Amino acid sequence: MEFQQSQLNQHDQLQLQDSDQSQNDSINEILYPLALLMDELKHDDVQTRVLATQRLDTIAIALGPERARNELIPFLQDVAQDDEEEVFAVLAEKLNSNFVNYLGGPSYATILLPILQILCSMEEPIVRDKAINSLNDLATILSQNQINNDFLNLISQLSQGDWFSSRVASCGLFRSVLIKVDSTKRKNLLSAYLKLIQDDSPMVKRAAGNHLSNLIDLLSQLESLHQNKNKNTQNNLENSNINNLEANTADDTDNLKIDDNNLTITDKNDTHPISLPDPPNNNDWELIFQMFNSLTNDEQDSVKFLSVDVLISILNYFNHHKEDSSHNQDLLEIFLKLCTDESWRVRYMIADKFQKIALYYSSDDIKLKLLPQFISLMQDNEAEVRKAISKQLTDFSKLIPSKEIIINRMIYHVVELANDKNEAVRSSLASEITGLAPLLGKTHTTNSLLPIFLSMLKDDFPEVRLNIISKLTVVNDVIGIKLLSNSLLPAITELAKDKQWRVRLAIIKHIPLLAKQLGITFFNRELGSLSLSWLWDSVYSIRNAAVNNLKQLTEIFGAEWAKTEVIKKILNNEILESYRLQNPELFENQGEVTQNQLHNQVIQNRTDTGVLFDDTFDELSSSLMNNFIYRITCLFTLKSLTIALANDKDLIINDILPFILKNAKDDVANIRFNVATTLLTITQVLLNKFSENNSADDNLENVNKNINSFSILENNNINNNTNNINENDKKEDPSKLKVDDSPEDIEKYLNIINTQIVKTLTQLASDKDEDVRFFSNKSLNAVQTILSEFNKKDSKIQENTESPK
Amino acid sequence: MEPIDMDGDILMQDQNDQRLDPTLDEDDPQDVSSNNEYSFNQTFHHPSGSRPELSFSNINQLDQWISQLSNCQPLSQDNVAKLCKMAADVLQFEDNVQPVHVPVTICGDVHGQFHDLMELFKIGGPCPDTNYLFMGDYVDRGYYSVETVSFLVAMKVRYPNRITILRGNHESRQITQVYGFYDECLRKYGSADVWKLFTDLFDYFPITALVDNRIFCLHGGLSPMLETIDQVKSLQRVQEVPHEGPMCDLLWSDPDDRSGWGISPRGAGFTFGQDISEQFNHTNNLSLIARAHQLVMEGYSWSHSESVVTIFSAPNYCYRCGNQAAIMEVDEQHNRQFLQYDPSVRPGEPTVTRKTPDYFL
Repeated sequence: MEFQQSQLNQHDQLQLQDSDQSQNDSINEILYPLALLMDELKHDDVQTRVLATQRLDTIAIALGPERARNELIPFLQDVAQDDEEEVFAVLAEKLNSNFVNYLGGPSYATILLPILQILCSMEEPIVRDKAINSLNDLATILSQNQINNDFLNLISQLSQGDWFSSRVASCGLFRSVLIKVDSTKRKNLLSAYLKLIQDDSPMVKRAAGNHLSNLIDLLSQLESLHQNKNKNTQNNLENSNINNLEANTADDTDNLKIDDNNLTITDKNDTHPISLPDPPNNNDWELIFQMFNSLTNDEQDSVKFLSVDVLISILNYFNHHKEDSSHNQDLLEIFLKLCTDESWRVRYMIADKFQKIALYYSSDDIKLKLLPQFISLMQDNEAEVRKAISKQLTDFSKLIPSKEIIINRMIYHVVELANDKNEAVRSSLASEITGLAPLLGKTHTTNSLLPIFLSMLKDDFPEVRLNIISKLTVVNDVIGIKLLSNSLLPAITELAKDKQWRVRLAIIKHIPLLAKQLGITFFNRELGSLSLSWLWDSVYSIRNAAVNNLKQLTEIFGAEWAKTEVIKKILNNEILESYRLQNPELFENQGEVTQNQLHNQVIQNRTDTGVLFDDTFDELSSSLMNNFIYRITCLFTLKSLTIALANDKDLIINDILPFILKNAKDDVANIRFNVATTLLTITQVLLNKFSENNSADDNLENVNKNINSFSILENNNINNNTNNINENDKKEDPSKLKVDDSPEDIEKYLNIINTQIVKTLTQLASDKDEDVRFFSNKSLNAVQTILSEFNKKDSKIQENTESPK
Repeated sequence: MEPIDMDGDILMQDQNDQRLDPTLDEDDPQDVSSNNEYSFNQTFHHPSGSRPELSFSNINQLDQWISQLSNCQPLSQDNVAKLCKMAADVLQFEDNVQPVHVPVTICGDVHGQFHDLMELFKIGGPCPDTNYLFMGDYVDRGYYSVETVSFLVAMKVRYPNRITILRGNHESRQITQVYGFYDECLRKYGSADVWKLFTDLFDYFPITALVDNRIFCLHGGLSPMLETIDQVKSLQRVQEVPHEGPMCDLLWSDPDDRSGWGISPRGAGFTFGQDISEQFNHTNNLSLIARAHQLVMEGYSWSHSESVVTIFSAPNYCYRCGNQAAIMEVDEQHNRQFLQYDPSVRPGEPTVTRKTPDYFL
């Protein structure tokens, strides 16, 4: 602990007294903070020591490689024996391959091993795991020699440690070296590992069992490397090394693709080539089968269930890499035994991985041996097991050779699961069951699956309903939209009025999807009024989703649809119907008179002129327009449609703009400042200056987006969908918006903006309400900036046309 | 359903003698503030002056803070100090009975349940498009008191005409030391400075609001010492919530089935009967008293033949009560619509099935 700190300080002081100032200043600048850091490493307060340890890199750089090796490392070795766990954790993390650079390169890497050996023997799992990670990281830069001597030695010491924690730590280190050493050493390693698997302490057995499948996957890699070598004999494999494969070991090796490049990359830190070790031999496999057997026969279920992953890795090795299926039948027996294990945790692991194992078996095995097990797991006593096996339903069914088997033997049990008393089971079934439709084909889906879908759509638990809805497209592909809508539309319209607003939200978000498939006529008949009625939902998020929905529908069906189905209906009393649909209680009190009056006037209005915005308009919808939420929702809808109608500017000018301008005199300030932001949007769209980023009320929308982002966390299904929809929003690319308007048109738009929009905004900019003034001024400034750009362009054009004369 | 007294706030009278915070000494508040570099000028300009309008740079800063807070990221201590100073400039010009216009959405206790506050805005619509009136109790109990109160105060400063925030009995130095806000500040900022800044600011919060002269909104309830709203206007409100007297009662009282005035089991405020509410509404030409303060399982609850309504906006209160929350929308015709909602779902939070254990009832 004493260390050379005092020495260092003396050093500083001596140098301060030194005559040659200019040289010393620079050294002092380096050494003074260093001395501080060293002091901090010995500080009384743990937090200070933690912070100092985090700056270990700085200290090592400042010391230079030699002093770092000779002074810092011995000090750290002391630290590793006598400090708090917080400091150990940081220290273990810091001593990785990166740190070796400050010690003089990989050839000195081994001096870190003793410190890490101490750290990884600690009982605290956080410290241990970090030390193991650092050790595995170091192993990637060690030379063959260093591995053979130092690292193997480290592993053998740890694996024979007295205390369980060092044996646990050793389990995590085998993967770094297993396929880097020759076959004799590999056999020794595997024998040592067998001992760990058969250890007395359950913690060690668990750790060993956990890493075993990883090790087998490494052997698979080695095998495929050899196969590649045989295929490409002309490659000079003597120079190849496999260090760079290390990074992949933790991943699923099924996905691993080893190409020639991998084989010829030379290690950046090591000029000595490592030759490819011999392929795994029977000795190795004997040891591994011993390990597997002792795992499957372990008394503790927490050890036993680890054998499931090992089984998958073994099957993978023999079937993918060896093309040897001779072991499959033996392994199948073990698998079937595990399926009926008395511990539910083992059965859960089996259920969770069922398809991955079934993959390796022939259709006969699946039909005769695996299917009965699958069905019995579907009837398991433990809900967790049923939940896991439900998740496998589609993937496993794909392996079943004929759909008759699915129908005759499985559907009955699927129905049982659909009525399971546990909601989590039903929910996980709901997310999978639609996947059966493509397997069963149209007739069977209609006969067997549709009834299940319908009953699940009425489930009490919202997540079940959501999971079914969000995967309906799969069913649609099989049975066609007609059939789907005939049988499911009633259920969907039912859900559209669900008490849970998130269920309604999920339905709304699927409407554009359905609309594309249904076509305009069918949509108008079945879902048109429903889409409008959501605008009057009592929950804001639903109203907001309804506005977005209408915007997307406009993009799908076009301007004419928007005009007749949305804009006209919004601005006249046809909306009353859908509004009443949504709020029946409001109309009980307000009486028949208003409604009849409205109705008569609308009829008269239509026969008279057919124009929406005449003098009767105000009276006509006065009762509805009295409601603030109604008015602001109309405003939001029209603003949103404006953006979607960039190609139909006449509609904006003739139908939308007059309504917006009328609202500028609204009594409620909230309406007035939304008028101000909407007017900017209209200006931007008219002059093709609109993009999602420069909308007037970006600060409002930011907050809204943030608020909405919380909902994204809530449900993955919704999440995926909102993402899609957001992407769609973004896809509104400039090319689509930038329509070439004729100069006359632009002249017309500029005129309207100058006379109507600027005038209204100027009035609003001196409003009595602070917020109205703020948003109006903001919009006004933005509008004027756009206008001035156009004036400049105009004058340029004029100059250009004048100059040739 | 009757309001359930499981809120359990009890004003601990016996704690008057042994204060938890040594800096807390009401006799000499100036001394406390002078010790603290973050405290702001406590002089009170009511209501002769008027609120200064926000500068453009302030607006930008506030918008940035609001955006940060809406992601549940707390502000830095320096920014909290700036925010509280700006907020004091806004709040000190508000009335004891702050006038509010329809349409407005009236909300009850939030209690640091930040994600549920975001859920509230999803149900009622974002501010400033929708006008809000919050009736106190933003802090304590929930895990995100700092974020919740910072967000609401920032919104208040940014849109003073769109949102009104009243004082609840938890907006006090003494209560926050017992029920969580003090500890949360200590945990999130490493010192009590932020707690001090906010509790100093709480003194400026208006204590009641009057919606279009018809709905009287406050956190607790009525006081035997107040017969008219004009009397409320003449109170000196800029102080720590006292242990007794009219200001204390407004923040602590509860309606009760028994008529007349009764002793509150909370140890502060009173219980008041239907006769008292009806008399008060008649005298002041009111249609309704809206208040919060008590957990109600449906989120809202009528009492006294619809002359008093209790609104509670913290769903699954304390992450375990299984109650719904509600807000009340009042439109221009004074139609009232209650919107009920459930807790927002989020990962990593304690989840509890929506059932009240028997022993609470």
